[in-house]
Amino acid sequence: MARDATRRRVLTAAAAVLPLVAAGCKGIAALGTPPKAAPDVTVATDAVAVETQLIARYQAVLAANPTLAPALRPLLGQHHEHLTRLHARLIVPAGGQPLPTPRATAHRTAQVPGTPAAALGYLRDAEDAASGALLAHLATAPPSLAQLLASISASEATHALILGTAARHS
Amino acid sequence: MTAAGPAAVAALQQALAAENSAVYGYGVAGAHLTGARRAAAVRNWVGHQNARDTLTAMLAARGAQPVAAAAVYQLPFGVHNAGAAVALVTLLEDRLGAAYLGLVGLGDPALRAFGARAVRAAALHAATWRRSTLAFPGLDVPAPRAPEPASQGTGSPAPSGQAHGNPTPSHPG
Repeated sequence: MARDATRRRVLTAAAAVLPLVAAGCKGIAALGTPPKAAPDVTVATDAVAVETQLIARYQAVLAANPTLAPALRPLLGQHHEHLTRLHARLIVPAGGQPLPTPRATAHRTAQVPGTPAAALGYLRDAEDAASGALLAHLATAPPSLAQLLASISASEATHALILGTAARHS
Repeated sequence: MTAAGPAAVAALQQALAAENSAVYGYGVAGAHLTGARRAAAVRNWVGHQNARDTLTAMLAARGAQPVAAAAVYQLPFGVHNAGAAVALVTLLEDRLGAAYLGLVGLGDPALRAFGARAVRAAALHAATWRRSTLAFPGLDVPAPRAPEPASQGTGSPAPSGQAHGNPTPSHPG
């Protein structure tokens, strides 16, 4: 099925094992049916999109407000760590659809506020929203992915706290 | 669900044990803090007592005997001044996050959501004390570390055993 082709491109290790198990029962013909993306692929891909958008927003704010770099760099670095660990949950075959990158989504980022206090508030709101969005699939994610999402969500809640404090003092 | 019960009870007991430690530790730390930091410590101390009671009730509802608090806990380093007190409560919050993350690994969606809220609360407390953030609260917990001697307050003689990087148990009582 051609419409399944894109879904085949991103597989988790868990999903990749399934056709082998099926093949053991039904013979080689079972390999003809591509596996559907496992739920955790959707969850991890959504989380990657959330992180990617946050990183793009940080980059846009840093471009408009370079003086905020000392305050924002540590937080941005932690988002890169989040993204790295989420990417580790996905196996993307060569030639497949690339996952979104911060550069690719940067042009879609809305105009960022010009004053430091407003920019910090803008990022605080983005962190709050991301923290909530990461928990949207908490109930359906596999246990270890659920723990990773809860941890990253908590990290982003602390980012919002630090940004809110910085905004009040700027 | 035959396996969910014991796993849930074990994870709840872990969280309760961490709350018991936190109630004890905040009691020790609060004595070395003043002003706004003391007020925050008292607020969190009460919050952890409430969390302890909640977990106790959740375990009782599952027919389990809640793990009892110890009379005295061995602290990871000597707590004789405000700097060490802040380091201690930061560590306690980090460990609470790790304990509650165990609930997020269960199959029960309600316990997952409960655990995620508690991981968030512990991370927020830890970040407030630490004045910085972690990338993976609950997952990557920093090792216990006594504060640098230079950051200690005045008028509070450090005991000889309090070399940083070499945590010592506190004197009970």
